[in-house]
Amino acid sequence: MEKYEKYGKKRILLGKMGLDAHENGIVIVAKWLLDANFEVIYAGLYNSPESFVQTAIQEGVDAIGCSFLGGEHLYYTRRLIDLMNEKRIDNIKLILGGVIPPEDVDELKSLGVAHIFTPGTLRDTIIEALNKLFNEPE
Amino acid sequence: MKEKETIKIQSSYLEGERVQNFKTLSGMDYKEVYTPEDITGPRELPGDYPFTRGIHKRMYRDRLWTRRQQSGYRSGKESNERIKYLLSVGQTGINMDPDLPTHLALDPDNPLARGDVGLQGSSLVILEDIADLYNDIPLDQVSNTMIVEAPTSAVIIAQYLLVAKKRGTPWEKLIGTIMNCPLTQFVGPTYQAITTFFSIEYAVKIALDVMEYMIQRAPKWNIVNINAYNIRETGVNAIQEAAFALAIAQDYVRRLIERGLEVDVFAPRIGFFCAVHMDFFEEIAKLRAMRRIWARIMKEKFRAKNEKSMWFRTAVQTSALPLTAQEPLNNIVRAGIQTLAAVLGGVQSIHTTSFDEAYSLPTEESHKLSIRTQQIIAYETGVVKSVDPLGGSYLLERLTDELEEQIWELLKVIEGKGGFLQCFMDRWVEDQISKMRYQLGENFISRQQPIVGVNLFRDERDSTKINIFRHSSEWQRQRIQEIINYKKNRFQEPARRALEALESEIRKRPKENSIEAIMKAVEDGATLGEIMDAIRRAIDFKRPGLP
Repeated sequence: MEKYEKYGKKRILLGKMGLDAHENGIVIVAKWLLDANFEVIYAGLYNSPESFVQTAIQEGVDAIGCSFLGGEHLYYTRRLIDLMNEKRIDNIKLILGGVIPPEDVDELKSLGVAHIFTPGTLRDTIIEALNKLFNEPE
Repeated sequence: MKEKETIKIQSSYLEGERVQNFKTLSGMDYKEVYTPEDITGPRELPGDYPFTRGIHKRMYRDRLWTRRQQSGYRSGKESNERIKYLLSVGQTGINMDPDLPTHLALDPDNPLARGDVGLQGSSLVILEDIADLYNDIPLDQVSNTMIVEAPTSAVIIAQYLLVAKKRGTPWEKLIGTIMNCPLTQFVGPTYQAITTFFSIEYAVKIALDVMEYMIQRAPKWNIVNINAYNIRETGVNAIQEAAFALAIAQDYVRRLIERGLEVDVFAPRIGFFCAVHMDFFEEIAKLRAMRRIWARIMKEKFRAKNEKSMWFRTAVQTSALPLTAQEPLNNIVRAGIQTLAAVLGGVQSIHTTSFDEAYSLPTEESHKLSIRTQQIIAYETGVVKSVDPLGGSYLLERLTDELEEQIWELLKVIEGKGGFLQCFMDRWVEDQISKMRYQLGENFISRQQPIVGVNLFRDERDSTKINIFRHSSEWQRQRIQEIINYKKNRFQEPARRALEALESEIRKRPKENSIEAIMKAVEDGATLGEIMDAIRRAIDFKRPGLP
């Protein structure tokens, strides 16, 4: 808890990659995170993995959060993780949300995704998980 | 479930178990009881203006609604198989959905498109794709809805007309619908979603081109379908859904009249596509109120003479927003109730959303269950045997009147601001949607919108497993390669010349109807993305945010 307070608000980049434009979920989560004292940078729709990583570096965020709906999650997440590895980014956590089938949840977690919030996840579950994530000793 | 909650629920017997509130989903009050005093004014019969009780006198006694499940994945070939399967189990109309790159008019080999090819619908790029999609399907016997908005709709309809011509099906016999509405069809009227890859104003112009072209050549074809469903699914309420959709339709009517078309020629070919959410009576009342308002607008404002111009014809989809990933079988019950509301609301066609909606595209199994849900209501329950069986219900008639009043009020606000398109461009619509999205989140937390198994009676022990449709990344790579090869191996000269002609034609005469020039490019082998790129260049469209 001490570390969290010392560094002030945690910054999270939120947005969608690819062409899907369903954003109810991520817009609501953005509001919940703001209310819970996180700083949110909302990148909106149609981001590429490249633009996402670039924005994340520029803004010095602590986490990237991305939401999916139509089955494109593996394609984009794999590319995003490859890019982050290429650029040796290891201090930015990756969080996903949206319509992601259970067996892909396991695969994405094995690739290094910290949390995956599928539809129906309660607000408090998300906030608690993120607070815990940022307070883990490294 | 936590012990404390279990005790609380069990003890509800002693306290009196109650629901959260006594309001409709859009916030109107449900009275404790409705009586004859709640019904005022004259009440007409079904088939009589303003059609509150249905657009036809005999409704489902003469003809059931069309069972029209959306389908589409991978390419035209695979989607054609699914369409045939659906028809074999009792689907009575086609509802084809393209993938996202097709919707946004980006070819599969475009770096922006690669990850989304063939996922949310079929990848439709060239003339041959449409031929594959409708292989063996008689286009003059099965009505076919094409879920595609302008500007892509112009290319898809050109491909479709060319396929019909090649097969010898006269255009005047084609039956079906092109959704065509650039403001609503993609994901509802959200600003960034529909202004990033094309100009919204020019998309509206192309939508009107499609309408004008089709009305003159395919009189049985529906030229536009206002997607109120997608409006609703952004999180707005029933009143906003209705008012936004009716406002958009008026924008099109005005513009078609400006093109010199007679209202009674085109208005009978305008349709709507509404959501049916969970509030049973409010949704039925909404459909009745929309029929009444549309009839009055067309008769009084636009001076239509033909009754068919005044018919609010609507397809519906049962709303997916209340469907849950938790305990997915509960969704079968939800969709069943929503489907019943649609039937009691007197709609023309129904898509019953599949119970696996919160996981993936429907499997054959869940697709079939949606059709069975409709067939059980149609054939087993008897609700179709009298027309508008809820007509005269004190509650429903009162709610219809109240919704009508609210929708008119909001329509006035939108018209006062210059119409829907203007409100959209001024970001007024965006503001309304954002507010309602935050409200959606709040209502979820506060349980003002209860969702059983999620924010109410949640059971963390639940581990229901269902079969889930799987995508194939290998297929995606092959499809991208197929289009790359196509572009490499076709006759280059005709395609190049047709694209140049299209670009210069639009540059010189941006207001002329563009369909013939687009059709020529399709015929000469150009792809969807190439055709739209030519138009993007011609109108100097630049993607916002890019140099």
